[in-house]
Amino acid sequence: APAAKMAALSGGGAPWRRGWLPALRFVRCGSKAVTRHWKAMHFQRQKLMAVTEYLPPRPAVPPRCLPREEEALEEDNGYVRLLRRQVQEVFRDYRMIAVCQYNAMPGEDVVLMRHYLQKYDIEVKFVLNEIVRHVLSQSKYKTLLPLFVARNILLVSRETKVKEMLRVLKGVPQVNLLGACIDDTILSRQGVENFAKLPSLEAAQGQTAGALALLPSQTSSLLQRGSVHLTALLDHHIGRLQAGETGSPDEPGPEQSAGDQ
Amino acid sequence: AGIIFPERPKLKFMDKVPAVPKVRREPRQLRDIRGPSQVATDFIQGQYGILALGGGYLHWGHLEMIRLTIGRCMDPRTMFAIWRVPAPSKPVTRKSLGHRMGGGKGPIDHYVTAVKSGRLVVEVGGRCEFGEVKPFLTQVARKLPFPAVPVSRDGLQRMREEEEEKKLNNQNPWTFERVVTANMLGMRRYLSPYDLQLKGRYWGKFFLKHRV
Repeated sequence: APAAKMAALSGGGAPWRRGWLPALRFVRCGSKAVTRHWKAMHFQRQKLMAVTEYLPPRPAVPPRCLPREEEALEEDNGYVRLLRRQVQEVFRDYRMIAVCQYNAMPGEDVVLMRHYLQKYDIEVKFVLNEIVRHVLSQSKYKTLLPLFVARNILLVSRETKVKEMLRVLKGVPQVNLLGACIDDTILSRQGVENFAKLPSLEAAQGQTAGALALLPSQTSSLLQRGSVHLTALLDHHIGRLQAGETGSPDEPGPEQSAGDQ
Repeated sequence: AGIIFPERPKLKFMDKVPAVPKVRREPRQLRDIRGPSQVATDFIQGQYGILALGGGYLHWGHLEMIRLTIGRCMDPRTMFAIWRVPAPSKPVTRKSLGHRMGGGKGPIDHYVTAVKSGRLVVEVGGRCEFGEVKPFLTQVARKLPFPAVPVSRDGLQRMREEEEEKKLNNQNPWTFERVVTANMLGMRRYLSPYDLQLKGRYWGKFFLKHRV
């Protein structure tokens, strides 16, 4: 085809044409212009289509640099309100609330863990982060806010059986303790462990009572120390007198003891 | 509000073969599929319609499907529908199966109507909302041989405005139109002379919506 074109132009002396119809070239190639399938484009045409694509206008500041607008959960949702109320009740009623990280566990392991914790009256509660964060930000437990990221559970109980709880959690590797709020005191992981090492309330009470009672017990002995010392000395003197009578009469003995006093 | 109801609310029956069947077999003339449509691009009576976004042929089966589906799904008391597409008149020949090439042109098999991109196929109107009409119009649009969408008058106007906006705020200094009209880099060697009018938005029977 190029050879034919050259021949036509040079041989015929035809004036230089402005456009060259590709009709001659493509007729021999097979399909027509309009096909049912997507006709393969010439590579040059593909390049032209790629170059002349639409470029949308870009804003001066990319949207990810601007402050993000976060849509808060609607308060009108009754379900959300119910969940919030439940979380508030939990924080009010239960003395011990432990926040643990929860990784995926097989179902039976979850049931087993719940069973073990049930024996010590500890309940396991699954909570949604958005609700808990909202509730916490409005209550006084602001420090617990950074804990509620990613999947977590709450272990709540009316008594503070921390040692048993730690023992159960040690057996379950997928649940990690993050922090706890015991009797309105926020404790970290170390704090909880220290709290577990503390003796129980009765023992602590007994210890304080013993410590307090130690001083009064000492005061009585302190007061009696003088008279006890006198009695000891007199006994010693009597012993020496008796020893002096049996051996030889020792007259300066009683004078010495009178002088000592 | 200025809505003119036709005599019959439902779509008219279209016959397979025109009243005077054609004797002379016609050449294929695929240019009636190619490029944008010049006829039936705007709304006449109705408020909603099906817009064709590609070229193709509609035969009697398609038209029956449209007629029956719309007739079944619309309420003739409040809504009406009109055809924006003529009855099939273009004869399409087919050779019998299993024969070798040659032996002349085959006999006429059936008749079709040609539809170019940007043409309305049916229009629906009356005392109804787009939301009511859209489900069955999308159902019909999916079954057509070319890509189609249900549109309302506002939707169509918005589409056209968006196209204009895109053309204006295009950041790319190189447009197909510019390259072709100036024959930059000798591109016209690889393009058709029809590309001067089609401007890179059409390729065969396909309409490239995302271009320019």
